[in-house]
Amino acid sequence: MNPAWRHPSFGVGAVLMALVVGAALLSLVWTPHDPTAMRIMARLRPPSADHWLGTDQFGRDIASMVLVGARNALLVGLVAVGIGLVFGVALGMFAALYRGRLIDEAVMRGLDFVFAFPAVLTAILILTWFGPGLVNAVVAIGIFNIPVFARQARGATLQVLALDYIRAARLAGLSRGAVMRRHIVPNITGLMIVQGSTQFAFAILAEASLSYLGIGTQPPNPSWGRMLNDAQTYLATAPHLALVPGLAIAITVLAFNLLGDGLRDLLDPRMKER
Amino acid sequence: MMISIHRLAGPAILALGLALPALPVAAQPRDTLTLCQTLEPPILDPSGGAAAAIREVTYGNIFEGLVAYDRDGKVVPALAREWTTSADGLVWQFRLRPAQFHDGSAVTAADVKFSFERAVAPDSKNAQKWIFEPIAAITTPAPDLVEITLKSFTADFLEGLAMGDATIFSAASVGKAATEPVGTGPYRFVRWQRGDRLLLERNDSWWGAKPAVKSVTFRFISDPQAQVSALLAGDCDAHTNLGAHEAVAQLRADPRLAVTIGRTEGETIVAINNAKAPFSDLRVRQAMAMAVDRRLVNEGAVSGLGTPIGSHFSPNHPAYLDLTAERPVDLAKARALLAAAGYPNGFATTLRLPPPAYARRSGEIVAAMLGQIGIRATIEPLEWPQWLERVFRNKDFDMTIVAHVEPLDVNIYTRDNYYFGYQSPVVKEAYARTKTARSETERLEAFRTIQRQITEDQANLFLFMLPKITVARKGLTGLWPNWPVPANPLAELRWE
Amino acid sequence: MALFLIKRLLGLVLTLLLAALVIFLVLEILPGDPAAMMMGVSATPESVAALRAELGLERPAAARFLEWLGGFFTGRLGLSYTYRVPVDGLIAERLAVTVPLSLLALGLAVAFGVTLGTLAAAKAHRSADAIIMGITQLGLAIPNFWFGILLVLVFAIGLGWFPAGGFPGWAADPMLAFRALLLPAIALALPQAASLARITRSTMLETLSEDYIRTARAKGLSRSQTIRRHALRNALIPVLTILGLQFSFLLAGTIVVENVFALPGLGRLLIQAIGGHDLILIKSLVLFYVATAIIVNALVDLAYGLADPRLRVGRA
Repeated sequence: MNPAWRHPSFGVGAVLMALVVGAALLSLVWTPHDPTAMRIMARLRPPSADHWLGTDQFGRDIASMVLVGARNALLVGLVAVGIGLVFGVALGMFAALYRGRLIDEAVMRGLDFVFAFPAVLTAILILTWFGPGLVNAVVAIGIFNIPVFARQARGATLQVLALDYIRAARLAGLSRGAVMRRHIVPNITGLMIVQGSTQFAFAILAEASLSYLGIGTQPPNPSWGRMLNDAQTYLATAPHLALVPGLAIAITVLAFNLLGDGLRDLLDPRMKER
Repeated sequence: MMISIHRLAGPAILALGLALPALPVAAQPRDTLTLCQTLEPPILDPSGGAAAAIREVTYGNIFEGLVAYDRDGKVVPALAREWTTSADGLVWQFRLRPAQFHDGSAVTAADVKFSFERAVAPDSKNAQKWIFEPIAAITTPAPDLVEITLKSFTADFLEGLAMGDATIFSAASVGKAATEPVGTGPYRFVRWQRGDRLLLERNDSWWGAKPAVKSVTFRFISDPQAQVSALLAGDCDAHTNLGAHEAVAQLRADPRLAVTIGRTEGETIVAINNAKAPFSDLRVRQAMAMAVDRRLVNEGAVSGLGTPIGSHFSPNHPAYLDLTAERPVDLAKARALLAAAGYPNGFATTLRLPPPAYARRSGEIVAAMLGQIGIRATIEPLEWPQWLERVFRNKDFDMTIVAHVEPLDVNIYTRDNYYFGYQSPVVKEAYARTKTARSETERLEAFRTIQRQITEDQANLFLFMLPKITVARKGLTGLWPNWPVPANPLAELRWE
Repeated sequence: MALFLIKRLLGLVLTLLLAALVIFLVLEILPGDPAAMMMGVSATPESVAALRAELGLERPAAARFLEWLGGFFTGRLGLSYTYRVPVDGLIAERLAVTVPLSLLALGLAVAFGVTLGTLAAAKAHRSADAIIMGITQLGLAIPNFWFGILLVLVFAIGLGWFPAGGFPGWAADPMLAFRALLLPAIALALPQAASLARITRSTMLETLSEDYIRTARAKGLSRSQTIRRHALRNALIPVLTILGLQFSFLLAGTIVVENVFALPGLGRLLIQAIGGHDLILIKSLVLFYVATAIIVNALVDLAYGLADPRLRVGRA
C-alpha cells in the first residue's frame, strides 16, 4: 500500500472527496428522480421509500437535488480556484522575478488592496453591479483567490530563486522564461496544489453563503446553499429540508481541507508538527 | 453528531404545538398589543411612496383622510362628518368634524386644500396623482367646509379620497411625515427602532370612541419561519399577513391561536409583454394559458390558500365574473396552437421575477409548466428597483409575475403606455362607461365587459388572488379578515 | 522608527482613499433608478423625477464623491434612499447589535479556541489530541449559517430556550437582548474557534520545543505545569496576531449570521439595502466594513512590526 494513504488526513480526505466526486459523476447518468420535476401535490413530504430524503416545497426529490448539487459545488470550486491559480501564480512569479523593482511593489500593493476587501463584500460589490447569479458569484470568489495564490507563489518563487544551482544557472545565461519553465514551475507546483485544495474548500463555503443570502446560484440550478435558504422558510414544518444540504456542504469542505492538510504534511514532513 | 441532532429535532418539532403551556388568563383585559407584520415601511408618509407597508402601519391609525374604507371596502366618513354632491356630480361639499392633529392644532378646511394641492404639485411624490387630477378648484367657504369642483364627472372620486394617498396633513408638520409623523388618527407615533419595531400610543384627544388598546408595538419580521416561532413563543399577539402558508395547519392546531384566511385585492398575474413577438400572437398567449394550471400554482406558491381567478378582477367586487373555466389545461391543444403560430418546437424566453416569495415560487412553477409545451423560460430574479426600471418602466421583458394590489385597478388595461403593452378599444370604451355611468347596473355591466374582453384576449395569465392569513392570539378581536386596502385599524381592536 | 510609522500611516490613508473610490465608482454607475424603486409600481415619471431632484442625483459625480468622503468625518452621509433618515444614524443604531455580537463571538472563539488548542498541545499525538483536531476540522467545514439554522432548530424551535430570531433592543431588558445574541454568537464563533484552536496548538508545540521550556521540564515541572506557567503566555502572542487577521472573516460572518437570526445589525441592513437598491446606504456600509477590515489589519501589522524590528525593512 502506498504510504500516502496511511496518512490519516489525506486518507480520510481522499475517501470523502471520492464520495463527492462520485456523487457528481453519478448524477450525470442517474438520479433517483428528475431533480427538476415538480409534483406539487406531493410537496414537503418526509423521507420515504420513493423519496429517500423527502421532497421540497415544489415536490422535487431532495436526494436527486443533492446529487446534482455536488456537480454545482465542484464546478464552483474548480472555476474559482482556476481563476485564482492562473492569475495569482502568474502575477506572483512575475513579481518575484522583478523583486524589489517598482513593478513588484505595484503588483503586490494592488493585490494587498484586493485582499483587504473581505470576500463576501467583493462578491456583494460585483453582484450588485452585475446582478445575482452563479457565474458572477464564482468570478467574485475567484478574484478574492488571486492575491492568496499570488502571495504564496511569490514567496515560493523567491525561495527557489535563492537556491544555489538556480543562481548558477542564471549566471550561466539561462533566460528568465527558461528558469521559470524548467525550475520554478515544477518546484512550486506542490505548494500550489496544497493551497488550491484549501481555497477549493473556501470557494464552496463562500458560494454556499452567497446562495444562502439569495445572491448566488439561481433557480432552477440546484445549489446546496440555495436549498438551505429555501429550507429555512420551512424549518418549523419540514426540518428535514435543512439537514442534508448542510451536511453535503460540510462533507465537501471537510474533504478538501483534509486533503490539503494531508498533502502539506506529505510534501513537507517538517511541517508535520503543525 | 449530525444523526443525533436529526433524531432530536424530529420529535421536538412534533411536540411543539402541544407541549407549551397556555398562558394564564389575565384578570383584567390587556391594553397593550404587539402586532407583527412581514414588511417594514421604508417611510411613514403615505403620500410619499406606494409601499403597502406604509399603509399597514399608518392607515386609520396615525393618519386619516376625509373619508375611509371600512373592513368591507365601503367608503365611510372620517375627518369629513358628511358630504353632498351637486346634481351633475361636479361640486362636492365636505363638512369637517371637530378634530385635532397630534400637535394640538385644529383640523381646518385649509389643511384639506393644502394637502390636496400638495399632492398634485409638480414636485409631489404622491404615487396616486390620478385621484386629484379631476379637481378643478378647491375653496374653503368656512373653516369646517371644503368645496371641491371637478373638471368632469368622475364616478370613483370618493373611492380615491378614501385611499391613504389622500391623507390630510397640516402644513406645519408635513415635513416630518416620513420619519416622525403627526397625524389626526387615534394613535400617535412614539418611536421607531428601524429594522425591528415601531411604537404607537393611544391619542386620547381623538374624535372617535376611545380605543380599547392603549399602546401598540408593530414588529417587522420578514422571515416566514421566524414569524411562526414568534407567534408560538408569544412574542407576537397577532400576525396581520403570515408569510408561512405551509404552517397554517400547525398554527390551527394550537389552541391559543385563531387563524383566519381572508382575501386581499392582489390579483397575481403572469404579465406578458403583449407588444413583443412571439407574445403578440394571440395563439401563443392562449397556448401558454392552456399549459399553466393555476390551481397547482396556487397550491405550490401559497399552499392553496389563494382564490384562483380567470381575469384581472377581484371576487370581492359585485361585478366579478368567474372566468376560471375558460381555456382549461390542455397540453395537446396548447402544442397545436404553438405549432399553428409557427413554433412547433416552442421557443426560449425569460421570466423576470420581483423579490416577493409568491412571485419567486409561482415563477419556478410556471417555468416548469411552460417547459411541458416546449417554452423554455429562464428565470431571472430581480430586486424591486431593477424590476421597476427594466420591466415596469422600460418594458424590457418577456414575462414577469406580480400582484397588482390596488382595489379596482383594472384601469391599467386602458393605459396606452403600460408595461404589458395591451391595447383594446373595447376595454377602453367600457372603462370610460364605468366613469360616466349614472346607474350602478350600467357600471357593473361595463366592468363585466372588461373582464370578458381581457380574458378573451388572454392579455395576461391570471393566477390567483393573494390570500391574507391573519393569526391572532385567542381573545384578540377586531382585526380585519380581508384587505380591501392593506390596513390594520387599531381602534377597532380589543382584548376579551 | 518615526519614518516607519509615517510610511505605514500614509499607506493606510491611500488604501482607504482608493477603497472609497472603487466603491463609489462601482455603486454610482449601477443600472437602475433608485427614485423609481421608492415610488413603487404605479408612480408617474414626474413624481420619480421630483424624487431624483430631491436626492441630488443630477449633480456631477466628483462633487458627490467628495461630499460623501467628507461625510465620514462630519457624520453627514446623506439620507438613506429608502428610510429617509440620515445614514450615520442608521449605522450607529445597527452598531448596537453588530459590535456586541462580534465581541461576544470573539470572546467565545478565544475562550474555546485557546482552551482546546492548549489541551490538544498538552496531549499532543494522543487520542484526546486527535479528537480535538477532528472536531476543529468539523468546525472549519460546517458553514456558520447552517450551524445557525441547526441551533435554531434544536434550541429555539425544539426546546424553546432561546428566541428563533429578532432582537428586543438593549433598552427594555439587557438580559433578553443578550439571550437573543447568544445563539448567533455561537454560530459565528464556531469557525473562528476551530482555526484558533489549530493555531494555538501548533504555536504551543513550537514553544514547547524551545530550549527554556526544555530546561523547565528538566527541572521537574510537569507538561501541563510548564504550559500554564511558561508556554501559554508566549504562544498567545502569535495567536492574537492571527486573531487580527481573522477579523475580516468575522466581519463577513456577521453579514450571513445576522440574516440567519433576523438580527437588526449592520449585515442585515446591508442585505436589506441591496434588496432596496439603497445606493447611498450600500456604499457607506460597504466602505464602513472595508475600512474596518483595512484598519484592523493595518493596526495588527503595525503592532507586529513594532514588536519585531526585522519586519520594518520592506517586505519579508
